[in-house]
Amino acid sequence: MPLNIDWQQILLHLLNFTVLFAILYFLLYKPVKKFMDQRVEYFKKMDEESKEKLAESEKAKEAYEQKLAMAEEEIREKKKQAEAKIREAGDAKLRQAQDQAEKIIADAHKDIEEDRERMLREAKSQITDMVVNAAEKLVDQSTTSQAFDSFLDAAERGEADE
Amino acid sequence: MERQKRKIAILIFVLAAAVLMIGTIVVKSPGSSESIGELMKDAVLHESNQVSLFGLKDVNPGLISAMVITGVFLVFCLIVRIFVIPRFRIVPGKFQLALETAVGFFDRLAVSNSPHRNGFLGAYVFAAGSYIFVGTIFELFGIQAVTTQGTSISLSAPLSDINGAVMMGCLSYLVILSGGIAGNRLRGVGRTLKEFSLPISMSFRIFGALLSGALVTEMVYYYIFLSYGLPILIGVLFTLIHALVQTYVLTMLTALFYGEVSEPAHKEKS
Repeated sequence: MPLNIDWQQILLHLLNFTVLFAILYFLLYKPVKKFMDQRVEYFKKMDEESKEKLAESEKAKEAYEQKLAMAEEEIREKKKQAEAKIREAGDAKLRQAQDQAEKIIADAHKDIEEDRERMLREAKSQITDMVVNAAEKLVDQSTTSQAFDSFLDAAERGEADE
Repeated sequence: MERQKRKIAILIFVLAAAVLMIGTIVVKSPGSSESIGELMKDAVLHESNQVSLFGLKDVNPGLISAMVITGVFLVFCLIVRIFVIPRFRIVPGKFQLALETAVGFFDRLAVSNSPHRNGFLGAYVFAAGSYIFVGTIFELFGIQAVTTQGTSISLSAPLSDINGAVMMGCLSYLVILSGGIAGNRLRGVGRTLKEFSLPISMSFRIFGALLSGALVTEMVYYYIFLSYGLPILIGVLFTLIHALVQTYVLTMLTALFYGEVSEPAHKEKS
């Protein structure tokens, strides 16, 4: 063969290279590539997880903001209700106080009237007593029962006039 | 103090270099029985300097180099598989990073050139690339072997042997063909056969490139006056750069053609 080409040696070279290929493939290329692929997967998974977490946190943020807005609305509503209640309660208290005051005034008027009547009655009774006493004293002074009777009649008339 | 120590170290180094240089001139070389022409012809054809393969057959030194490299790879890969890979971490260390860079480079090469079908291609270009790169660097170590004639030779790069280069070129072509069949059946075969010159061009490209490095190195070491200083330049230019360039060229071409023939056919729009 030209250039000393020897087919047997070519086949020996081929055999040698096939063995070398198997060694390199199974002992080096495949495990190293597998590790590299696993790392790519690991980072891809990490990336996906972080994206998921980011999306979740965005959702949570939105939900929180919504809740915050709702809570603010609720607070405003409750504040309004509370203010209305306070106003109502104040009005009721005012009305009650006015009623009480009116009642107190009415009671006071009634008491005063009763007192006046009672005092008048007492005064009348006292006057009567005083007249009786005075009459008794007069009776004591005049001995005649006639005079006493006429005096009594006069006194009774005077009372009736009143 | 530190400066003085450095000066002493430099002085010792210069003296040792001078002594060695004088020694190489004073001590007479037994001389080569071959002329430079014969030496170079033998580097190409390996007609005389053959090595016995376990007493079964006389083979070119390139085949022995290939087997030594496979043995070295086996030991290296076993150590890495048993002790290093189980301790891989998410944040890689220096060695892990180097391994991942090598695997990732060839994997990306396969994926970018053949996006439709690249599982096997990635593994193939990784193996071929590692073989070419380490095989070319191997030349630098100058591992000795005994020829059938009883003389010693330094083992050359496996692909500077025409048989190794033909194997590499033809195998790459077969891999491309397999990609064509897997991707496009008969159309893929047709597409691959269209590039019928590919195995020859691939084989001889890699053979020529590596052989040129080997020939220049042979010539440099044949003449004593070229052996001072020049091998540093030669070693870098014809070995390290060749290792990188040839690795890239063959793997790139294989991936490119593989991607082309395995690409699914597009239906023409009417």
